[in-house]
Amino acid sequence: MKLDTLYLILGMGIVTFLPRFLPMAFLTRWVIPERVKMGLGYIPISILSAIVFPILFFNEAGKVEIQPYYLLSAFPVFIFAWKVKSLWLSVVLGMLIYWGLGLLL
Amino acid sequence: MDDHQFKEGAKAALPIALGYLPVGMAFGILARKAGLTTFEVGWMSLLVYAGASQFIAIEMISKGILWFPIVMATFFINLRHLLMSSTLSLYFKKNRFRTLSLLSAQLTDESFAVAISNTSKILNRPSYLFGLQMTSQLAWIAGSVGGALFGKLIDHKEYGIPFALPSLFICLLLIQIKKVRHLWVMVIAGISSILFKWAFPGNWYILLTGLLASGIGMAFEIKLIPSPSTASGSGEPLARRGEGEPARRTSSLERGGGGKNKG
Repeated sequence: MKLDTLYLILGMGIVTFLPRFLPMAFLTRWVIPERVKMGLGYIPISILSAIVFPILFFNEAGKVEIQPYYLLSAFPVFIFAWKVKSLWLSVVLGMLIYWGLGLLL
Repeated sequence: MDDHQFKEGAKAALPIALGYLPVGMAFGILARKAGLTTFEVGWMSLLVYAGASQFIAIEMISKGILWFPIVMATFFINLRHLLMSSTLSLYFKKNRFRTLSLLSAQLTDESFAVAISNTSKILNRPSYLFGLQMTSQLAWIAGSVGGALFGKLIDHKEYGIPFALPSLFICLLLIQIKKVRHLWVMVIAGISSILFKWAFPGNWYILLTGLLASGIGMAFEIKLIPSPSTASGSGEPLARRGEGEPARRTSSLERGGGGKNKG
């Protein structure tokens, strides 16, 4: 392994570990105020929304551009996942629709 | 380590594995093209294990950028994990540093989202989260090493593969929506994430949206459930908060902790 690549992998390993570890290490030892807990309770919804919605409106280069394949596939998955809260079936359905759209259009 | 919990967690990771294998393969292929060896690809997926950062690192390597700027970029991209790690910390009180460091080392957006979709499974059950995360990372490593070795066998843009992880995230998001105010926070977070992504470079939009929308969520809760004016923290205020959802969560956390002590 080249030294440069070694530094790269070790450096990336350290900087990805710290934000994952530090809150878990210290917040588990502290008493968390009730209001902060309320805020933490909304983090999953906030982060998941921030992951899902931009996928539909940005291209791979990060520029604003409606993604018709993603939008058309996402719509039925939203409805399906809302009714049937199954991860497996949602993933399979999403893949099938996306694949089908690619074959049709 | 509890075998039953570990297996349960491993099973819960299967939808993630379905998404990670092809994306990992894509990473392996691109990393080889950028000049990394298969060995280096494997070590990176083992020690770094961060999809977006690994792809960006490859992009930067192929542009001839040296290690330090790539490490800095990685650092900023992964600050969003501060929020996820903080959230998970509520469920793993009283665990040793060694356990916590292993658990947190394998935290990803996907495993976090699956873990938090059923909090009763993770509350003081580190083995479950180990099973979930080990399986996910195994798929990531297998995918990336596989891609580096036999890159050209499967086209990772085929068979609906690009939509596997988005579908997973959509379902995980909807699992979180239990009340009307959750729906509002989703709408606010959705719109603000698009604006943030448009306005700021890189991955800042996830962290910014996380802070903004969870702050707004907290404001909703405080308005809806009148809480005592200052932090007195014991006895009567707890009883008053009894009707609210967060208070119930707290008491179940405490029950869970107590149960573990007995066991």
